[in-house]
Amino acid sequence: MLKTGVVQVIARGTDVAFVIDENAPFDVVAGELKDYLSKKSGLWSKGDITINVGQRMLARDELAKIKSIIETNSGLKVTRFWFAPESLDSGDLKIEAKPTTDGGPAKPAAHNEVVLPEQAPQTSAKSKSAVESIIESLKSRQNKNGARNRNITEALFIKSTFRSGETLHHQGDVVVLADVNPGAEIRADGDIVVFGSLKGWVHAGASGDNKAVIIALELPSPRFQIGKFLGVAPVTAHRQPKLSASGPQIAYVRSRSIHVAPFAGRFARYNKGVPYDG
Amino acid sequence: MTGRTIVITSGKGGVGKTTATANIGTGLAMRGHRVVVVDTDIGLRNLDVIMGLENRIVYDLVNVIEGTCKLSQAMIGDKHDYELYLIPAAQTRDKNSITPEQLREMCAELEKEFDYVLIDCPAGIEQGFKNATAAAQEAIIVTTPEVSAIRDADRIIGLLESSGLHRPKLIINRIDPEMVRRGDMMDQKDVESLLAIEVIGLVPADEQTIVAANRGIPVVHNTKSPAGGAFLRIASRVDGEDIPLMDLEPKNGLFSRFKGMVGMNGRAYSHA
Repeated sequence: MLKTGVVQVIARGTDVAFVIDENAPFDVVAGELKDYLSKKSGLWSKGDITINVGQRMLARDELAKIKSIIETNSGLKVTRFWFAPESLDSGDLKIEAKPTTDGGPAKPAAHNEVVLPEQAPQTSAKSKSAVESIIESLKSRQNKNGARNRNITEALFIKSTFRSGETLHHQGDVVVLADVNPGAEIRADGDIVVFGSLKGWVHAGASGDNKAVIIALELPSPRFQIGKFLGVAPVTAHRQPKLSASGPQIAYVRSRSIHVAPFAGRFARYNKGVPYDG
Repeated sequence: MTGRTIVITSGKGGVGKTTATANIGTGLAMRGHRVVVVDTDIGLRNLDVIMGLENRIVYDLVNVIEGTCKLSQAMIGDKHDYELYLIPAAQTRDKNSITPEQLREMCAELEKEFDYVLIDCPAGIEQGFKNATAAAQEAIIVTTPEVSAIRDADRIIGLLESSGLHRPKLIINRIDPEMVRRGDMMDQKDVESLLAIEVIGLVPADEQTIVAANRGIPVVHNTKSPAGGAFLRIASRVDGEDIPLMDLEPKNGLFSRFKGMVGMNGRAYSHA
């Protein structure tokens, strides 16, 4: 292990991890990282690296900056960012400021791969947590089947009312155990399940997954998105959204438009929904 | 003695924050507490007018914070025989003249001497809101039964919770019982289900509130008026007394109630 103050570099066989001090200011981190890499530029000829940012809250452009510093000053390729799981805890709704586990907007899709190679030495295997192994196996199984190309992350639980002005983007499923009020925004790469009244704006399958669904105990939201499709509730003369039924509802994409039907279980076949196309 | 610092806020302007501050402050003082109300709406001060104290202002909040005067010099005693004091806002300055830390420090000083420190928060969610909420341990949110005010209240609750002010209480102001009965106005249940926080008071629309504000005598002095009674009950609830919320009755009696019974009331609003 090599220590350089705020940035720690941990080598594990063919793997390298950069651990960044949670409390150091961003500019200091960026500076140290640059110094370190340019000093040891010969050392890192090629390879993949993981960056562990801990509890730190980084904006997307800051992540992109770190990525570019590393990639320009060395031959390394940043393939993965690691965040402390508790930094995505539901109690804290400042999640909007935190990026999730991808490496900034500029990153090509192929780099979303979880990189913890099988050929890595024992130390690496030992440090692999159970969750990581499960994610990995899911990942490889998915890729084999060529099934839903989703970046698997743990589902995020929100346990308090999601209020106006609060926004969230999560790289997985989102479960809200309360209402989503008007003016709130949730974008999830997976499904969105609301155990309450969904009145805000939500986007399921935000990375382009048209198979994602939105399920809510009540679905008075006049507008929501699944994948690349936009659902607009049909309106009556009184400008009141006409709902297909009361009770739990599911929104899904069929024949290139969003339909809403009473929810009858995850594996029921939904055919007769109300089209939500305005 | 350590008092409680409570911020009264709303997000939307004109829903009755200042009126609520003056009345709850007066109500608590009428119950025998030592109360100080702080106007943090720097540049747009109003609390002094509603309390009828605008002629007595010498020093203001910014003077205290900048050290131009002592804290006690800026406190204006109420006209009535209560232990009620006002710290007015500066009119010629802006919200950036003070910082959240400075206000918190001042309120900590006041808490040593008073049972209640009530902070009248400015509208909006900018610097003034941040100043006012930083100093408080509790929050009361004022809203009216209108979608716009409720949307703003929802946003405010979210902001308060993210800054650590949990479990704010709600006052629904300016309820028109007749409109509620007709189904043209949201009732307590509608608002409560949308905002999902505890309601601490329902204040009916009452022209006495406006008359009292114009005279500079908060309506709570007139305990027989509907709004005055409501504010006194809110003050009691803030004080920890367990008084159930009253159903607000329309003024005009039998016929309208009969109409309500036979179902001639529909709903003309949408929550979404």
